[in-house]
Amino acid sequence: MKIFKSYVTYLLFLMVLSSCTKVIDLNLGNNTGELVIEGNLTNVAGPQAVKLSKNVSFSTSNTYPPVTGATVTVSDQAGNKYAFTEGPSGTYTVNGLAGMVGNTYTMAVSANAKTYTASSVMPAQVTLDSLTSKNDEFNTSKHKKVITVYYRDPVGVANQYRFVMYVNNVQAKDVYVFNDQFNDGRYVSIDLREDDSSNGNDTGIFAGDTVTVEMQCIDEPIYTYWYTLMQQENNGPGGGVTPSNPPTNITPVTLGYFSAHTTQRKTIVVKN
Amino acid sequence: MARSLIIIILSFITLSSFAQKKHTISGIIKDEATGETLIGASVRIKEISSAGTSTNNYGFYSLSVPDGEYTLLCTYIGYETITRQVLLHHDQSLNISLSSKSDLNEVVISGNKPNNDQIASPLMGVEKLNMSQINQVPVVLGEKDILKTITLMPGVKSGGEGNTGFYVRGGAADQNLILLDEATVYNASHLFGFFSTFNSDAIKDVSIYKGGMPAEYGGRLSSVLDVKMLDGNNKDYTVQGGLGLISSRIKVEGPIEKDKGSFMVSARRTYIDVFLNASKDSTIKGSSLYFYDINAKANYHFDNNNAIYLSGYFGKDVLGLKNTFGTNWGNATGTIRYNHIFNSKLFSNTSLIFSNYNYVIQSFLSDNNFKATSKINDINFKEDLQYSMGSSHSLKFGVNILHHTIAPGDITSNSASSFNNISVQQRYGYETAAYVSDDWKANSHLTILYGLRLSGFFLFGPGTFSTYDAAGNIASSSTYGSARVVKSYLNLEPRLSSSYQLNDANSIKFSYNRNTQNIHLLTNSTTSSPTDLYVMSSNNIKPEIADQVSTGWFRNFNNNIFEFSAEVYYKWLQNQINYKDGAQLIANQDVESQLTYGSGRAYGLELFLKKKYGQFNGWVGYTLSKTEDKFSAINNGNYFPATQDRTHDLSVVGIYQLNKRWSFSGTFIYQTGSAVTYPTGKYNVGGLTTFSYSERNGYREPSNNRLDIGATLEGKQHKKYHSSWTFSIYNLYGHRDPYSITFRDSKTVPNTTEAVETSIFATPIPSVTWNFKF
Repeated sequence: MKIFKSYVTYLLFLMVLSSCTKVIDLNLGNNTGELVIEGNLTNVAGPQAVKLSKNVSFSTSNTYPPVTGATVTVSDQAGNKYAFTEGPSGTYTVNGLAGMVGNTYTMAVSANAKTYTASSVMPAQVTLDSLTSKNDEFNTSKHKKVITVYYRDPVGVANQYRFVMYVNNVQAKDVYVFNDQFNDGRYVSIDLREDDSSNGNDTGIFAGDTVTVEMQCIDEPIYTYWYTLMQQENNGPGGGVTPSNPPTNITPVTLGYFSAHTTQRKTIVVKN
Repeated sequence: MARSLIIIILSFITLSSFAQKKHTISGIIKDEATGETLIGASVRIKEISSAGTSTNNYGFYSLSVPDGEYTLLCTYIGYETITRQVLLHHDQSLNISLSSKSDLNEVVISGNKPNNDQIASPLMGVEKLNMSQINQVPVVLGEKDILKTITLMPGVKSGGEGNTGFYVRGGAADQNLILLDEATVYNASHLFGFFSTFNSDAIKDVSIYKGGMPAEYGGRLSSVLDVKMLDGNNKDYTVQGGLGLISSRIKVEGPIEKDKGSFMVSARRTYIDVFLNASKDSTIKGSSLYFYDINAKANYHFDNNNAIYLSGYFGKDVLGLKNTFGTNWGNATGTIRYNHIFNSKLFSNTSLIFSNYNYVIQSFLSDNNFKATSKINDINFKEDLQYSMGSSHSLKFGVNILHHTIAPGDITSNSASSFNNISVQQRYGYETAAYVSDDWKANSHLTILYGLRLSGFFLFGPGTFSTYDAAGNIASSSTYGSARVVKSYLNLEPRLSSSYQLNDANSIKFSYNRNTQNIHLLTNSTTSSPTDLYVMSSNNIKPEIADQVSTGWFRNFNNNIFEFSAEVYYKWLQNQINYKDGAQLIANQDVESQLTYGSGRAYGLELFLKKKYGQFNGWVGYTLSKTEDKFSAINNGNYFPATQDRTHDLSVVGIYQLNKRWSFSGTFIYQTGSAVTYPTGKYNVGGLTTFSYSERNGYREPSNNRLDIGATLEGKQHKKYHSSWTFSIYNLYGHRDPYSITFRDSKTVPNTTEAVETSIFATPIPSVTWNFKF
């Protein structure tokens, strides 16, 4: 139903033709130095990575101090345990591990004299059928494009998807996450667009751009994590939710998540 | 039930009958020119200071005094005072017509004696709005507006531009009972709050109760906004209307049978979409964006003691993008009422009320085709009785049975669509109530309005009802048949308000009331929208409960020309509802699993100075208040400021009648910004800059302030017709009120973040409307 939200937002902006935006200075609090854990385990063999960092204050640059000297392991339900080795800038990796569909993986991170754990189930992969591009029906005078992803949702099981879009190798700064509440078992098409509105983050997709979409099949807690972030993005007219740290699957609670997910990619060049 | 209640009350009355022989005078007070009944007109006996009353919602009054000869005084704001000599040796009926001062064609500065009703009345926290004042308060785009004017009262706060709700004494937007001719209006605004659903052409009377609600009202925690439509002129046919820049309206009224019955039909439509067609953007060009509404009413008085009223409202908002997407929503209400005067003491009104709210969202795209609908249907039966018992007691009692049907969401689509057909089970419930209240003039100083309301709620099958564990998973499910009660709640709601009159110009008042609420609005955004979902109390959701105490000092100055009041209130809220993070509310069968429950408290001071009379009139209202919520799952279980919390709220309204033709008005508001949650840090996950948060609503948006001005030019007097021009400028000095603040990666400085403020109506917006009447 994100579609609906964006339509309403768009119409409201139309209605209030005199709306305007400006960058302002705010005196924001400073609750920093919290541990951020970002753990990803995919079904593709290769280095699997857990990244440890700390959050910083809003007014500083987007550089996040790495957390070094931690112990990171991932184990599966069969008791196989994989130790991760520390690399540069707080990234801990292991080679030769590919997640198996249906397995429950548990991450353990020991840092700051505390041990953090999180479990995630690798869901079955749903095939990303194809990508297409078309004209955006909003703001037609700008000649923007929309990318559509197609897949067949498996009937009778709950599925969750996250898409990551790269336009000319730059990641779109939006969360695209969907479940099958409204389209279980259907042949699904979903439009992905870059938010280039006055308070948005990106510049839009145009003819000639090279667009890559990564499709991840994610488990339910991770869906809730991303869905919460996606809901918070929409703070314009039509209303956003009151923001909060998304519910994490890590205990004790800290920032970040651990996600076991499948991954696949497709690339197209946007036609005129 | 109604019958037994009447018997109980009548026997109570008989027991307390009086030694001295009393007679009752009763009747209906009307406007001389139009035959409209006047609500809240004051009727008193000059010789006995304690003998006074005011007309009820149907213009009926009843006064009992000892045998004798008296002077009856009848006053109503904006009308000439009438005095009548009456010889009361038996019960008698006396209908009185008052003439409006506007018909006298002159600026009356001190035509009638201002009264001290606000000092004597036990009611507190009540504002009754005068339609002529509403018509002069300037508003955005020139459309005069009841809700906008209401929010200029102390203790009532607007949700802000583009927000449908208003907040009373810290209550949430869904805690206001909004009644139009007794029918519940679920969505009181058009176009996301820019206009109210009430077309002021069709409105006779508006009252808002912020506290000390009389027992006849119930079902919502925070306030009652009671709006009554005009009956229609029963003397002459008239047509009036207005042509504005973005909307036009027309009203036709006239007698069905002279002095016996009349009708009124009023309609309005906006045409903002005309401007959209000027756009170069092909999608915008074909878009629709408008609303319309129709108010209609008819009444017939069979004789002095029997009258029937029919009233209806229908309104719809339509938004759509050409061949892409469409949505519409609206209210429809209908009320049938039958007034019967049993005798000079006992007045009865029987109502059958229908109310409907629905919305439709449609996507026309071939591969994402769907149609989502949601609706609420209410059928409501009410019996209200009013019994005047001597000069010191006036009783009201009645029963109410309201049946709700809620269809939370249905999705239909074609076979090529990505969407499935989904239907969320409908829910059925009864809200029932019985009440009794007594307006008791204990002595010449003390008046007490006390009462009791018993409210019951019954959730019925058919359907499957689940309970949920802490994580929101189904813990158990049971299926109920259609006549089975799934859950019921009974609540006793005491109501009390009292006035102790120190002298003619001073009184102290106190009130306490408990209110309960069994229908709840779920919204997971910071502003409410037309697609928000209503749910009833259930096996998971308990009735919301509010207890409020308030006390105040009421003072009149300069022979009652100035009214001043200072009120303080404290409100405790139980079983408040919030949603969990990441809640999915749309078309979700298990929507109750997404909720979390807590409590709240609200307290404040309201100061109000009003000048009701004279060439220059208006008011100044100021509120100092605090509203906090507490949920174990939010903010570590600590109290946090509610979204609607505003520390300071000031409004100044001035209306100046320069001469017969020109009048000017101005409105100034100042408000503390709303409580919001801002980031206290940032980090990176999934390749995205992500913000971290500490306390809930720990920050304030910048304060709002704004000045609006208006002017009305009355056309030259003609025998056959009358016209006027209304000019207004909204936001005269172009203040930027922040509408929203968002945080993002900077577009100019790489590798940093920035805060972006969006504001709307940040420039002065002029408008002009031409009004006519013939």
